[in-house]
Amino acid sequence: MNKRKRARRVSRRQFLAAGGGLLGTALSLPSLAAVAGGAASRSGRIVAAVSERALTLDPADHYSISTTSMLRHIFDPLIDVTNDSRFVPALAEAWEAENDTTWRFTLRKGVTFHDGSPFNADSVVYTLRRVRDDSRLIKSFVYQDLDAIEPDGEHAVTVTSKRPFGSLPSHLTMLGILPAGAAGKEEGFFQKPIGTGPFRLAGWTRGEKADLTANPEYWKPGVPKVEKVTFRFVPEISTRAAGLRAGEFHVIDRVPPDMVQTLRATPGVRVMSVLGLEVQQWLFQLARDPDKNLRLRQAISLGIDRDAIIKDLLLGLARPAVCPIPPGLIGHTDLGVKPHDPDRAKALLKDAGYRGEPLDFVLMKDLYPKQLEVAQAVQAMLGEIGVVINLKNMEIATAREMRSAGKYDMFYSGWAHLPHDPDWYFGQWFTKSGAARLSRYDNPTVERLIREARVPDPKVRQQKYEDLQRILWNAEEPTIWPYYTVAVYGVRSNIRNYQARSDYYVLLSDASIG
Amino acid sequence: MAGRRASESARARDRGGRLRRGGRGLRRFARQNPLAVVGGLILLSAVLACALAPVLTPSDPIKTGFSGRLRPPVGVGGTWAHLMGTDNLGRDIWARVLYGGRVSLALATGAVLLAAGAGVALGLLSGYTGGRADDLVMRLADIQLAFPVIMLAIAIIAVVGTSELAIIGVLALSGWVLYARTVRANLLSIRSLEYVEAARALGAGGLRIIVRHILPNTTAPILVIGSAQFATMVLLETGLSFLGLGIQAPRPSWGNMMAEGRDYLSNAWWLATIPGAAISLVVLGANLFGDGLRDLLDPRLRHR
Amino acid sequence: MSRYAARRLWHAALTLFGVSILVFVVLRVMPGDPAKMLLPEGAPQSAVVELDRRLGLHRPLGEQYLIFLHSVFRGDFGQSFQYRAPAARVVLDRVPATIDLTIAAMLLITGVGVPIGLVAAVRRRTPYDYAGMVFAVLGQSLPNFWLGIMLILLFGVTLRWLPTSGFEGWRYLVLPSLTLAAYPTAFIARLTRSGMLEVLDQDFIRTARSKGLPATTTILRHALKNAIIPVLTVIGLQIGTLLSGAVITESVFAWPGIGKLIVDAIFSRDFPVVQTVLILSAATFVLVNLLVDLLYTLVDPRIRYG
Repeated sequence: MNKRKRARRVSRRQFLAAGGGLLGTALSLPSLAAVAGGAASRSGRIVAAVSERALTLDPADHYSISTTSMLRHIFDPLIDVTNDSRFVPALAEAWEAENDTTWRFTLRKGVTFHDGSPFNADSVVYTLRRVRDDSRLIKSFVYQDLDAIEPDGEHAVTVTSKRPFGSLPSHLTMLGILPAGAAGKEEGFFQKPIGTGPFRLAGWTRGEKADLTANPEYWKPGVPKVEKVTFRFVPEISTRAAGLRAGEFHVIDRVPPDMVQTLRATPGVRVMSVLGLEVQQWLFQLARDPDKNLRLRQAISLGIDRDAIIKDLLLGLARPAVCPIPPGLIGHTDLGVKPHDPDRAKALLKDAGYRGEPLDFVLMKDLYPKQLEVAQAVQAMLGEIGVVINLKNMEIATAREMRSAGKYDMFYSGWAHLPHDPDWYFGQWFTKSGAARLSRYDNPTVERLIREARVPDPKVRQQKYEDLQRILWNAEEPTIWPYYTVAVYGVRSNIRNYQARSDYYVLLSDASIG
Repeated sequence: MAGRRASESARARDRGGRLRRGGRGLRRFARQNPLAVVGGLILLSAVLACALAPVLTPSDPIKTGFSGRLRPPVGVGGTWAHLMGTDNLGRDIWARVLYGGRVSLALATGAVLLAAGAGVALGLLSGYTGGRADDLVMRLADIQLAFPVIMLAIAIIAVVGTSELAIIGVLALSGWVLYARTVRANLLSIRSLEYVEAARALGAGGLRIIVRHILPNTTAPILVIGSAQFATMVLLETGLSFLGLGIQAPRPSWGNMMAEGRDYLSNAWWLATIPGAAISLVVLGANLFGDGLRDLLDPRLRHR
Repeated sequence: MSRYAARRLWHAALTLFGVSILVFVVLRVMPGDPAKMLLPEGAPQSAVVELDRRLGLHRPLGEQYLIFLHSVFRGDFGQSFQYRAPAARVVLDRVPATIDLTIAAMLLITGVGVPIGLVAAVRRRTPYDYAGMVFAVLGQSLPNFWLGIMLILLFGVTLRWLPTSGFEGWRYLVLPSLTLAAYPTAFIARLTRSGMLEVLDQDFIRTARSKGLPATTTILRHALKNAIIPVLTVIGLQIGTLLSGAVITESVFAWPGIGKLIVDAIFSRDFPVVQTVLILSAATFVLVNLLVDLLYTLVDPRIRYG
């Protein structure tokens, strides 16, 4: 046992030595760049601790927010999204819909991958065809509608789809572009992937840590501002907060409301918050007791005091929802806050013939901070109007099975609107086929409106979404959308220019440490 | 060799009688073993306090009060209205400790009883029958031990749901092997003793032999193991709650109180620390009591 | 001796086989669909079905088991559903961290637990004994995640003496190993104490002392050898627990070990990783206990296996 330990220690030293060599080379680069282009000097290392584990380095093979944050530093997408949900050019300088089923992207010139190979139409064609054709990739199903993906010269790509695909640009903000040279060698490529992004991958410990070093040849001038970035994946909030307070982490995400005060009171730490793009949704099982169901739903909605939850449990870190889509996204409109009216609720219950049968409120364990508290608060509030709620806090896999089987009355869920577009959300939750194993929603009018909203014209889309949301929000209330959550980050005071994002991404290319 | 066997059998015969004479020795035991008495008293007070919960507190352990969240206990800034403060939903912690104690203590007791019952039965079967049954039980035990409790817990609870019965079952599953192995070892060593062979020759049936000769000898170690395991079960319940597999909210248990309170350790330490203190107290009592019990029942230690 | 060894190996093989079948069946009987866990909530049913097919989960159970056995002999144990890498690779990457933590914890357990038990037994009913036992009870009664978080808050945040999470050097080992070792150390201390007490009172010890042999020699040579046996047994059992069950400690300290790996894998229904970890830890457990039994023969020459 002794020998093994010694051998391991040597190899770790060797690894560190190798890493040091890499660091040394990387450190000498900025001075070269400074000599070459007079660029601003880069220094320091920012450590970010995020709440989900990153399981893969393949931009096409995950839907995790933390992984998107980390990979955004290595890969560039065609289109970027700003903090107020506007789409801006990244690797695509411009894009337009030539007709309802055709998009054309004009690509940026003079960009190279980390190994020096040029970025051009071939890279885009390869990336898109791969995600469409390899059904093993997690993002594949989104791109099934893509028909022809053709280069148009070296710096433009035309994409046609089988049906209108107005939300394509939003999906593309989450898809990092890969070099065409990776074709056929993907397994080896993703051991040490390269992209066009502001940072290169220096080291990766699966599920734990990613070390990135600055890419001095990045196409955007003045970016990045730090030499090194490390992402640590730490799901346990008390550990993330402890690391921030001890100075080991510089940025942490998903700070729960109760920890805000502790962080503010810690010297050297500040708290940043912004209204987020995440909406909680409490589904009703619509196929149960269809006669009573509408009045029961309305009664439950009236029985919940959203303001009390926001004020007392979330400590003001949420805003009452006015429609299913959060502000900033296309389709958002003000349909009025839902009232709290226990008396009317009780009347509706009597009207519906509800006699106190217990309703199962299923939660997926640990999905959202404070969800158990909020659910218990809802249980107490509904208890006051005579509705008996059984909480069932189950592990995620089992909860999802129960949902598919319809074995629930209410289901605690949520939706982070990524990509920044409501089409996927409505298409999945409010079409007959999509909702078949979810809430069992079925309304042909709404389904038609969702389909019609898929065209690229933003004005048409806004109108369609407003119309269908009126049906959902005012008439039917198939789901309770209680509030929009506020994204809270903990940041050390010596970090400059960090932007708290509403989409929960942690992006550090513009940040500096000093 | 023969002499040794004779003294062994003499001691074995003696053990049954010793238990009966134990009553008189209890007072002397109490004087010699004050710690064990303390342990027993602690356990007794804990059980009584939890049983008398409605008398000891007017508060409802489930009633929420959003305006009075995270109040500290008396002595560190709190009021007498909430002796041990309130939790993240404004519920009274003293009430939750008492009512939660009912659940945790009942679960631990049930688990120990089930584990002991099943373990002893399987150990007897295994040791007495021998052969195929013995092999089967021992392999099952090996497989069981090599299997992390966590996985069994997740699997069982995923299928059956988080009922008290499921939790007791899972806890018992993690503990039966110790009883089985002990009983079996005891049985094997006694089986060949002369007086047992004599009894068999005289026509006594298997069950009679087990009850009259074998069980009394195994009672002592079972009691000792049981009292030690009681503490382990309480802690296992805490671990299950940490993973979300224990008693479900809003019903309190010491385990889920600690699990829910762990995110507040830096700003409201009492949420997790007070049930933790309750657990420590009960474990202390169980360990002291168990040690004393072993001292009482182990004949070798009596000659001091 | 060789007949005994052969019999033990046969038992070990049976146990491993039993574990593998049990794991395999339990995973597939549990509710929860691996494809649903990999895909986002908004994925259509067709994507779920397709991914299940790609993962081979549509095949009959027996065929899946044979494919799995084949992957064991091939050495990769199948492809992890979550990580898209060979399951064996995913697990082995995390084994060093767990081994380091286990060794550190075992050093504490034997280096602190056994001496405390010894001192408490030899100095019975003195303050040493009482202090040792108070420590033991505390160690056995504090839930480990509470202890872990408190240690982080005290030594990591307030005092800033030690790092709060992760594994990037030996200093990162201190708090997690203290947390992991607390319960077993206390347990071993009490076990050592009671084992020593039993031995110290036996006739032959009294005889040796009355013959005038010095106390320390007597204790160390005779008593310890006898008292060690139950301690060895428990250590053998504890290693299994430590290796495959440091789940809570690893969660609290973000320790890149296999305890957290397996719990995450179970919750995500990553069958190949769960199967790999369980079989490897079962094998380790069986091996360690075999070693412990062999150690018995060294410690106590009276024990012979035929």
